[in-house]
Amino acid sequence: MFARISIAALTIALVSGCSTSSPVLGSKNIGYGDTKAVELVTNEFGSTDLQMIAESMTRSLAQSGVLHARPVVQVYDVKNKTSEYIDTREITTSIKTQLMKSGTARFASDNSDMQSQVDQLKLQNQTGLYKKNTVAKTGNMIAAQYRLEGSISSIVKRSSDYKDVFYKFSLQLIDVESGLSEWMDEKEIRKTTER
Amino acid sequence: MVFRALTLATLVAALQLTGCSAFRSYDSELQETNQHLTSGNVDAALALLEQNNKSDDKDLLYYFEKGELLRSKGDYTGSQAAWRAADDVVFKWEESVKLDTAKYLSQFGSYLVNDKVRRYEGYDYEKVMLTTQMALNLLAQNDFDGARTEIKKTHEREAVIAELRDKEYLKREEEAEKEGVRTQYKDLQGYPVASLDAPEVVSLKNSYQSAFSHYLSGYVYEALGEKGLAAPGYRKAAELRPNIPLLEQALLDLDKRKGKASDSDVLIVVQSGLAPARDSVRIPLPLPIAGNLVITPLSFPVIKEDASTGLISEIQLDSSPLALTSLNSISAMSRRALRDDMPGIILRTSVRAISRGVAQKKLNEASPLAGLAMGIASVIVEGADTRTWRTLPNETQVVRVRLSQGEHLLSLPSSQGGNKIKVKIDRPYQVIALRVVGQQVFAGGPAVQVEPRVQAQAIATLK
Repeated sequence: MFARISIAALTIALVSGCSTSSPVLGSKNIGYGDTKAVELVTNEFGSTDLQMIAESMTRSLAQSGVLHARPVVQVYDVKNKTSEYIDTREITTSIKTQLMKSGTARFASDNSDMQSQVDQLKLQNQTGLYKKNTVAKTGNMIAAQYRLEGSISSIVKRSSDYKDVFYKFSLQLIDVESGLSEWMDEKEIRKTTER
Repeated sequence: MVFRALTLATLVAALQLTGCSAFRSYDSELQETNQHLTSGNVDAALALLEQNNKSDDKDLLYYFEKGELLRSKGDYTGSQAAWRAADDVVFKWEESVKLDTAKYLSQFGSYLVNDKVRRYEGYDYEKVMLTTQMALNLLAQNDFDGARTEIKKTHEREAVIAELRDKEYLKREEEAEKEGVRTQYKDLQGYPVASLDAPEVVSLKNSYQSAFSHYLSGYVYEALGEKGLAAPGYRKAAELRPNIPLLEQALLDLDKRKGKASDSDVLIVVQSGLAPARDSVRIPLPLPIAGNLVITPLSFPVIKEDASTGLISEIQLDSSPLALTSLNSISAMSRRALRDDMPGIILRTSVRAISRGVAQKKLNEASPLAGLAMGIASVIVEGADTRTWRTLPNETQVVRVRLSQGEHLLSLPSSQGGNKIKVKIDRPYQVIALRVVGQQVFAGGPAVQVEPRVQAQAIATLK
């Protein structure tokens, strides 16, 4: 009797399988898309442009052979010389993430993180709230060997039935001590729309 | 008997089709509300607004006006709640446009209904100003992160509007061609054409992009340390209003080191007056009805300027004068919106009048009384759409200064009532927004305090 029940249970388990998909709630009109899909909704700066720039810059920098032994790099804001609201910090964040993941470079606190870093050090050292031996000592922050900076600019031309946008993104790596530009690259993107 | 029934049926049908909004005079409703605001009695203005909007189904205009009135009162939470409701309506509009532009355009271009019985969906510049004013509400409470969200929404929405209007104007040209209506607003005898062709209207790039809105976004992004986003804000503002030193300076200063680190970068925003009203004028036009050219009176909207508040050219800061730079004029934007809409309005009104003329002629032949009734009904129903956001400030002017932290005193010129406003500067970046209507000044938030005017009057009488 017991065996029969066990076999039945086992059969059910096998038939139903372990790979039951999670239930989906809500509307059929909403779906998740491929984040790498080429986006051509409008000819303004879009997700594909951001990914293209970040990938091409990371590849070029990593393969350039300039970055030996994981040097410390300080990332500056990319100057936005276009009239479009492009969050250039997102481009540098992508570049930074990819370089970090591949173990090519380390990054010093950049402009936006610096304030929080200083605040935290002050909090630990000046308030007397923390156990002495756990407090981070001041004067031990690592200075950057290189700084990374760049700019994005655009040329927009429009006629009654044609719109052409040309983006140029350039990035360079500068040795802080010598002031020499050690690496530089640019990525050009052209987008045209016919009405 | 049959005729009488037919007459009645025609009248009832006309009323049923148009609904109550055809009889509502938005202009006179808001004239009264604005009078209360001008005299400084915001509570009475709010009570009147509620009284005029008793139905549960509130429209976009109600939320627009309510938000602005509550903002004048200094109730930022209430104001944000009202505007959030307006923002939901605009968001749905935006989604419907993005999802199916062609369907939206064909609905809007429908010849059957008069513009004023359509559900109000707001002019483009009103949609842009909504989120700009919401950002100002948050900035008065020093919430820069919250303001950033509203500002991002503003320029994203602006992009949606730009694309839609591009398509709309193209489609309209094709349709005017198809229907054979070639009348332009310049051909309307007795229409105030000059107000639509004024240099400040023609020089605008379009009706919805606001230099102030972009300048403010530049300022907010700069305050948050995002120079990459601040630059296009200032640049766009400078493109929209060329040759204004304030805008060009902002772009130049972005990469410069600022003066003393302990000083604050303060943006003083003075918003004055009220948005212009829309009125309806009747202008006779010859229309081809059933083979004959018939002179038919048609209604068209005209812009009626508000005269409650004079233009302020400078304010006093700690007794030294500061010149203000004008960055936004709703009067110009509203006239530009009408100028751009006029071809569509003429097209829709003419086509509707022609089809009505044909129907009336047929009805006349069957029963003169029913024909007359239809004539009367159409006179009631046919008027231009006079709805528009009326409490919205007309002029927006700014001045940017570096100030030491601590208390300062701002005062308005005596022609504007000579109000004095105490401001407390305690942050590296701070926005001080003043709203001037008539002789009243409204301001709120933790940093601003309007001094009561009673003292000044007492001194005046003592003399």
